[in-house]
Amino acid sequence: MSASLYNEDSLPDLLPIYYKRLFPHTALHKWLCYGDPNVSNRREISFTLVGDIYLRYQSFENAEDFAQALHKRFPVKIDIGAIYKQRLESSGSYSSSKTPVEREIVFDIDMTDYDDVRTCCTGAGVCPKCWKFMVIACKILDGALREDFGFENILWVFSGRRGIHCWVADKKARILDDNQRSAIAEYLTLLRGGLVVRKVKFFNMHAATERALKVIDEYFEKSILVEQDILGTYERLDAFLGNIDEGFSPLFRDAMTKVQTSVERWKAFVNTFQTLQREQKIPKHYRYMVEEMKFYYAYPRLDINVTKSLNHLLKAPFCIHPKSGKVSVPFKPKFIEHFDPDAVPTVSQLLDEINTYDAKTKAQEKDLAENSQTSVKIKDYKKTSLLKYVTIFCEFLRGLQASAARNRAIKNGTVMEY
Amino acid sequence: MDFTSYRRTVRKAIAEEPLSELYPHDVSMYRESPKSEISILEFEQIALDRLKLLRIIEQAAPKGNRLYSDQWKTCIKDDLAKAGLKKYVRLMGGTSGTSDLDYQARKADYLSHFILRLAYCRSEQLRRWFLSRELEWFWIRFTAQSREGVKNFLRLYKFSYTPISEEEKVSLRHELEASTAGLILFEETEFFKVPFTEVCSLVRGRKVFLKAGFAYIPSSELVVCIQSKFRAELSEELTWYSHRIHLFDDERIGPLLSNFHNLHTGQNYRVRENHESVDPADLDAYAKKHFPLCMKHMHEVLRSEHHHKHQGRLTYGLFLKAIGLLYEDALKFWRDEFTKKMDLNQFEKGYVYNIKHMYGLVGKRASYSPYSCVKIITSSVGPGEHHGCPFKHWDVNLVKQKVIECGVSVDGANEIKQLVSDGHYQLACGKYFEYTHGKALGNGINHPNQYFEESMNIEKGASGNKK
Repeated sequence: MSASLYNEDSLPDLLPIYYKRLFPHTALHKWLCYGDPNVSNRREISFTLVGDIYLRYQSFENAEDFAQALHKRFPVKIDIGAIYKQRLESSGSYSSSKTPVEREIVFDIDMTDYDDVRTCCTGAGVCPKCWKFMVIACKILDGALREDFGFENILWVFSGRRGIHCWVADKKARILDDNQRSAIAEYLTLLRGGLVVRKVKFFNMHAATERALKVIDEYFEKSILVEQDILGTYERLDAFLGNIDEGFSPLFRDAMTKVQTSVERWKAFVNTFQTLQREQKIPKHYRYMVEEMKFYYAYPRLDINVTKSLNHLLKAPFCIHPKSGKVSVPFKPKFIEHFDPDAVPTVSQLLDEINTYDAKTKAQEKDLAENSQTSVKIKDYKKTSLLKYVTIFCEFLRGLQASAARNRAIKNGTVMEY
Repeated sequence: MDFTSYRRTVRKAIAEEPLSELYPHDVSMYRESPKSEISILEFEQIALDRLKLLRIIEQAAPKGNRLYSDQWKTCIKDDLAKAGLKKYVRLMGGTSGTSDLDYQARKADYLSHFILRLAYCRSEQLRRWFLSRELEWFWIRFTAQSREGVKNFLRLYKFSYTPISEEEKVSLRHELEASTAGLILFEETEFFKVPFTEVCSLVRGRKVFLKAGFAYIPSSELVVCIQSKFRAELSEELTWYSHRIHLFDDERIGPLLSNFHNLHTGQNYRVRENHESVDPADLDAYAKKHFPLCMKHMHEVLRSEHHHKHQGRLTYGLFLKAIGLLYEDALKFWRDEFTKKMDLNQFEKGYVYNIKHMYGLVGKRASYSPYSCVKIITSSVGPGEHHGCPFKHWDVNLVKQKVIECGVSVDGANEIKQLVSDGHYQLACGKYFEYTHGKALGNGINHPNQYFEESMNIEKGASGNKK
């Protein structure tokens, strides 16, 4: 399938077909309005057109209007904003009278924030080894959002190149204010910036920290020690020891330089720590040093500014990433381990798949012609590998509908809950 | 002070309820507007007294007392006594007494709170200042209450917080013990289950156990919850008042109220207008000599790493704007650095809008003011970010090292280190100024731009003397 190789220059030619035949505009629009016709003209959906032209503060009455705009403009990127208090005028310019009132809580995890700990790739690159950072991040965040905060309707999306997005769409999440959002974001942030030796500092082992540790432990040896090889060179060892106060670090250095591999060096670190602790040479506030180290290397790194405010834009699912040509597809956190960013289809691949499918069925139809059966027309996305991602998205929509129905029932008093 | 019926009620004699009914508790949620008659003179007097109270509270922290610490409370109490505001000292006692003096104190507190609502609902900035002070005042009184006093308060204001059952507490023992910050005696602590949204400050720092959207807080933290309720109610009320302020056109008190904020000449640093622009070529020299440590660090990082994340760009960019870096120069300055690491196209696409926005040239076209110390100290700093207050966010040993590098003596550095350890970040910054300039600042540091100006003034003064 040489034709499916994606070329960035062909994007303007591919987008019109993608939006016409594949993009799930109905499902997306349905999600963004939550079945409420009063929301559709208050939800910001902004477009970025070729040549970096931004169209902000657009809203669409219904899915057809949305589709028409897509077919007219072929945006390179679609961003989703907040639901505003007032109707959005399609004029687009900023007006201070616009008050955002509702918005999913969103998280953005970008691989570049791991550049000081990942050793396999840098910048825009991503490989199965560093993808493990995303696996760990997704599992930890998904667990915390569900168990600690009680959220249920969570959509995880591959950003199209090297990161993941998360949308929490429960009603009770959508109505949180900026202060509450930033409280969640900071609750989930454990790494400190600035000039600090210890980037992670624990005084106690909070239940959520303990849960995160279990996830990290699943991956630490294989993904962090072996694959990332975080202690494999003297340079990396120095970086590691840079997290320990100068008072102790020589004690660890001696033990760790005696051995060679990351796994051995880590073992030496843990052993030294345990010995020192037995000899009561570790002050109390350092008692979680081993855990702190693991968190430094593996705990999710969030861009919290995205999460903190109600009206921050975030790219919509099913957009095409212009550089990679890949579709920004939803995935299930349960199966993130088996999610391979390399296997995500590019726009050109999808269009090829339609053609292949159509050619095949045409041949079959010829064979079946004598039976004179009328062929059933099937939707284009079902002919392609996009199908399974649309299915995941629709499942998320059904979950939302079920929650909304349950909330209505509780409101009407037909169901008694606490 | 009920606006809707103001004109009608003003001349009507009001049958007052007994004070014990009206003002039953030292701590109040101020839910109903008072309907008593008072003289203009008294009106002015109690309003000014409350203004003094709120200012005293405001100033206690910059004097070097950690917010909400015992030391902070003592400072406020002493200052109130010095200012002759005995009634407020009384309300801090936590006694909820029943003497006539107690009732008079509560009445003055109640009425003056409502008078100040009228004065402080008038702009976003005023509302915010008033809200912060009132929240602190609320906290001071609430935490002084005994167990009994708290119970009475909860009953009076119909708060339905009840502790979780012993069974639930035992079944969650491991989680509660591990997750509750500062917990000493598990057996003797009562836990309350509240929506996490009511205790954001505890959630933020992972200080409490969370499960399914509920926070399990120890009774000692109940104040956080009630305070956040109070904040929500008061904030909503102030907005409500602000929309109806035109109804309040009484000429006897109008001038006092609309001018009230002018009486407030707090220490907030305001950016001077029309000051001289700075030459971008001087920035390196300025950073070395005149920037506070936070901005100096931002500058050095930008020069060495050619990048800052969003918050960093805002913090540093607005600081530079306020010291007089013009838009064109700022654009060039950022572009020259950033393009050492990325191509021009990427810079234009990703960052130019940002800089224009900062200068109020696009979008909302607002004139953003540079961040104050309080804002910088309370911001959170993630990995790879460099904004924030060095004295607050850095490791104390690195602060020490850094200030020594900047020419502070070892003794001086130790003094700074001690201040940092005690949580006096702004005082530490003031000391740093003192050691690097050889001159103490009267009022401490409240704003990075204030630091810059003070430092420039010293230099100007010195060169002036030479001539």
